Amino acid sequence: MKILIHKIIPHIPFILFFIFLAILLWLIENAFILHIFIMIFTSATLALAWNLIGGFGGQFSLGHAAFYGIGAYTSTLLFLHFGISPWLGMIIGGLLAGIASLLIGLPCFRLRGTYFCLATIAFGEVSRILVIYFKSITEGGVGISLQFQPGFANFMFKAKEPYAFIALGLMILAAFTSVVIERSRLGYFLIAIKENEDSARALGINTFACKMAAFFLSAFFTALIGSFFAQYILFIDPESEFSMALSMFITLPVMIGGIGTTLGPIIGSFMIAPLQEILSIFIGGQYQGLQNIIFGITLVLVVIFIPQGAFKWVQEIFKKDRIEG
Amino acid sequence: MGGIYALVSIGLTLIFGVMNIINFAHGEFLMISMYFTFWAFHYFNFDPYLSIVVVVPALFLFGVLTQKIIIQRLVEAEHYTQIFVTVGLSIVMVNTVLFFWKADYRMIKTSYTMSVLHIGGMVISYPRLISFMVAIGITFLLFIFLKYTYLGKAIRATAQDNQGARLMGVNIRKVYLFTFALGSAIVGVAGAVLSPIYYAFPTVGLHFVLISFVVVVLGGLGNVTGAFWGGLIIGVIESFSGFFISPDLKEAIYFLIFILVLILKPSGLFGVIRK
Repeated sequence: MKILIHKIIPHIPFILFFIFLAILLWLIENAFILHIFIMIFTSATLALAWNLIGGFGGQFSLGHAAFYGIGAYTSTLLFLHFGISPWLGMIIGGLLAGIASLLIGLPCFRLRGTYFCLATIAFGEVSRILVIYFKSITEGGVGISLQFQPGFANFMFKAKEPYAFIALGLMILAAFTSVVIERSRLGYFLIAIKENEDSARALGINTFACKMAAFFLSAFFTALIGSFFAQYILFIDPESEFSMALSMFITLPVMIGGIGTTLGPIIGSFMIAPLQEILSIFIGGQYQGLQNIIFGITLVLVVIFIPQGAFKWVQEIFKKDRIEG
Repeated sequence: MGGIYALVSIGLTLIFGVMNIINFAHGEFLMISMYFTFWAFHYFNFDPYLSIVVVVPALFLFGVLTQKIIIQRLVEAEHYTQIFVTVGLSIVMVNTVLFFWKADYRMIKTSYTMSVLHIGGMVISYPRLISFMVAIGITFLLFIFLKYTYLGKAIRATAQDNQGARLMGVNIRKVYLFTFALGSAIVGVAGAVLSPIYYAFPTVGLHFVLISFVVVVLGGLGNVTGAFWGGLIIGVIESFSGFFISPDLKEAIYFLIFILVLILKPSGLFGVIRK
């Protein structure tokens, strides 16, 4: 019992923060602000998921859009053709993406560094092309719209609040998984692999299995958000679900918040997502591309000058507090 | 198209071979040179092929600036820094073009865009033939340059072992600078010869850079002649699979080849294993 308490104590700020968020959501009525929160939570979940393999394991995948797309298409198609509730479809999508990740990981994890990155890009592109090609199942490049039939079983709601709570729940789940992994054997193994894969192997770590496990979890969470988002906007198409641009944007909060930490991707999302939504409202329509110029420049500057991301600042603030106290 | 793929890939592989950096913004360099060619044609009525004399120095200069401001910092950095900085650069470039010139497709219409050459039973379009000849010419020139000039030798030495080259008195910063600019200039040529046959739009680079990843891996990363042959092979595969299987699947097919090569022979078809 005592050990358990000791394990929980460092996470109390985390837990309080999540409770605070939940209360906040409950109080907010403004649809736009709720929308911003939904975007924050989904991008944080995606970032946390990517960070499992990219941050802890140091394997930079730029093909994560494939998993996102698998999630979105699985739940949507199952609902459309077989009437299976998207709740179940979401789980099935997650598992399918997990299986896909194993199939991709099998050849790709033999490659290292930049080669791995290139191979994941190739897989992402292949999946996009295949979805466009198999028109009879996926409607091809036109995309699929779902009819709006509100109801809990249909995963469609009139208000934004339920969506916001679900997104928060997903983020908490991802954060919890991330914390557990960070402190588990798997987490330490992954960090060892990132630092030096050959040494890790020499120490008897089954590097292949570790990378596969992290990739599976990462794909699973990415697909959950894919399904969630498909239900949120009720429209999917290959260009937005499978694009390489999406794979890049998944990594943005991780880079800006701090790679290889649990808090980093969350901080990054709280910085990026609101900015993105607000910018797209105020300047998006008139000046195409301006917001992405800003993000691109931020990405370059952050990666060059503060590779540890904003997380470093937070850490330093906490350290100062301790010294003063 | 094989010639174009070869040209784009040669620049990419040259930069990788010497500096060990994959420039994810390489496609955007192509895009920029296509826009240069387009504006030169649009405002000054420059023939696309003639505009090479403007586009290539412009791209060379652009390469120098990029190298000085950004890439220089990446040479010794970790993989992920290199990947994400060049990815960030590519996002900035795509969206800057999008911002100024919108997402319109722009195409140069010349008198010879549709003209073709009949040889026996074959029909070959002139612009494509020219792009193919240019690719051969550039590869040949580059080969001579790398083999016989001092700078070329310095580049090869740096590619083999940068510490060793430094000890031999090679100024590797200069070599890096020149290599990156040269790689950009070659892409400039590709953009100019591509302009009469392909649309210019902000994300045109993505399509070509993905293909050139395939080509470069096929030819062996860092191998210039390998990239040339790889480009031709992918061009042929593309036409054949487009004809015999399905035009929609041709991309999927060369990506599958890409993955197979990565797994079975990561050093490329023509490569020896490099450290």
